[in-house]
Amino acid sequence: MTGRVITITSGKGGVGKTTATANIGVALARRGQRVTCLDADIGLRNLDVVMGLENRIVYDLVDVVEGRARLRQALIKDKRLPELTLMPAAQTRDKLAVKEAQMIKLVEDLRKECDFVLIDSPAGIEHGFRNAIAPADEVLIVTTPEVSAVRDADRIIGLVEAAEKPAPRLIINRLRPSMVKRGEMLDTKDVLEVLAVELIGIVPEDEAIITSTNKGQPVAFEDRSPAGAAFTRIAQRILGEDVPFMVFDDTSGLFDKMSKFLKR
Amino acid sequence: MTPISFKGTREGLHITLAPAPWREIMEELARQLNRPGAQSFFRGARVLLETGNRMLGVTELEELIALLAQHQMTLTSVLGETQTQDAFVQLRSAMPPPPENLQAEIESAPEHATEDLSALLIHRTVRSGQLIRHAGTIIVIGDVNPGAEVVAENDVVVWGKLRGVVHAGASGDTRAMVGALFLAPTQLRIGNFIARAPDEKRTQVWTAEIARVRDEQIVVEPWNAV
Repeated sequence: MTGRVITITSGKGGVGKTTATANIGVALARRGQRVTCLDADIGLRNLDVVMGLENRIVYDLVDVVEGRARLRQALIKDKRLPELTLMPAAQTRDKLAVKEAQMIKLVEDLRKECDFVLIDSPAGIEHGFRNAIAPADEVLIVTTPEVSAVRDADRIIGLVEAAEKPAPRLIINRLRPSMVKRGEMLDTKDVLEVLAVELIGIVPEDEAIITSTNKGQPVAFEDRSPAGAAFTRIAQRILGEDVPFMVFDDTSGLFDKMSKFLKR
Repeated sequence: MTPISFKGTREGLHITLAPAPWREIMEELARQLNRPGAQSFFRGARVLLETGNRMLGVTELEELIALLAQHQMTLTSVLGETQTQDAFVQLRSAMPPPPENLQAEIESAPEHATEDLSALLIHRTVRSGQLIRHAGTIIVIGDVNPGAEVVAENDVVVWGKLRGVVHAGASGDTRAMVGALFLAPTQLRIGNFIARAPDEKRTQVWTAEIARVRDEQIVVEPWNAV
């Protein structure tokens, strides 16, 4: 049994890599897949917080690599889903603590135990990014509909291609349908025109993300959240299901009018 | 995984470096070039070096060029990171003279010294942060995205959208031209002339255009008028 290794990366920081990793992980696990989320952002770990597992960390990725802990000791089982586990990053070390070969070895060991290994990549294009990409079978790029984020995504796609990985797929995160409609935000077409890669999901801006992050309860647990539903559809597409892309135009109309009304 | 791979193309020898330690790469390259029979095969070849994610400094590049020169080979193009490109540019001025047979070829060429170098064909999208530099003409089948840079000593032709920075006639040849199916570069340079895109956004009309220097300035015309 060998699981698929998927790295989630972006280049630019703050576009939602960690949120995407946690939610896709939850969505896959809810569909019965055994998933390990691996936080490759050594020194700036976040994935444990977003998944609400921070207080359970005893050993971390660097402990395993340096032989102070066995794989099973460091893996943290999710408190809600038995299929979901987390391999936390070290907070007190930096990215140079792990070499590419060590990362590949670690992931090779992890994939024997599960269906999916999701790697949350650090921002940037340096050592940490290369560590996160090296073991990947597939790569998902997260971008927001902003010129700067798209530019960085383009850079990353180039680097992924240079690393001889298969063509990455794209998640457009934090799209605001109302702004797109007013022509104030890049729309999906604009982004795809530059990046020319396959789209795997569009996630609308959703305030529930902020509360869910603070509570450590990913939105993919709730089917009513628009962002949660979008991440669930991404998970379905990863599993090879043919899920239509949502059209967000209509949902925002009433909400927009109300918020305008309230602002007056 | 072997640290280097060779591919013969019409433009010359295409060498791709894997992310292996530099020592290993140089040893493997030396070993390959010294193989019996390789001498006559590689002699006089033009080399296109693809560095992938690796960043090469001046010292490393110098070492490689020296090794190639021992086998009468010349590095003409580099595909890779900006830092490597900068090192390549620094070294180009100080590069060893091309091997004799090449030299003869160049000397017999009338005035336009680099015209003889064959074109470099790039069949993919050139993305942000990537820089392509070639001592002849560059042809891109695909887009040149914002943040990418294409620098040629002769012409640049893009069969796609050109939105990055482009420099034709990079060694000062103002007769070079830039053509694209959709010409909207961040900045366009020909020889030592520079033009930049107008600040207001262009309407997305697909017309092939061509840019060249006329009366001491860069002019852009529809391609059909040429």
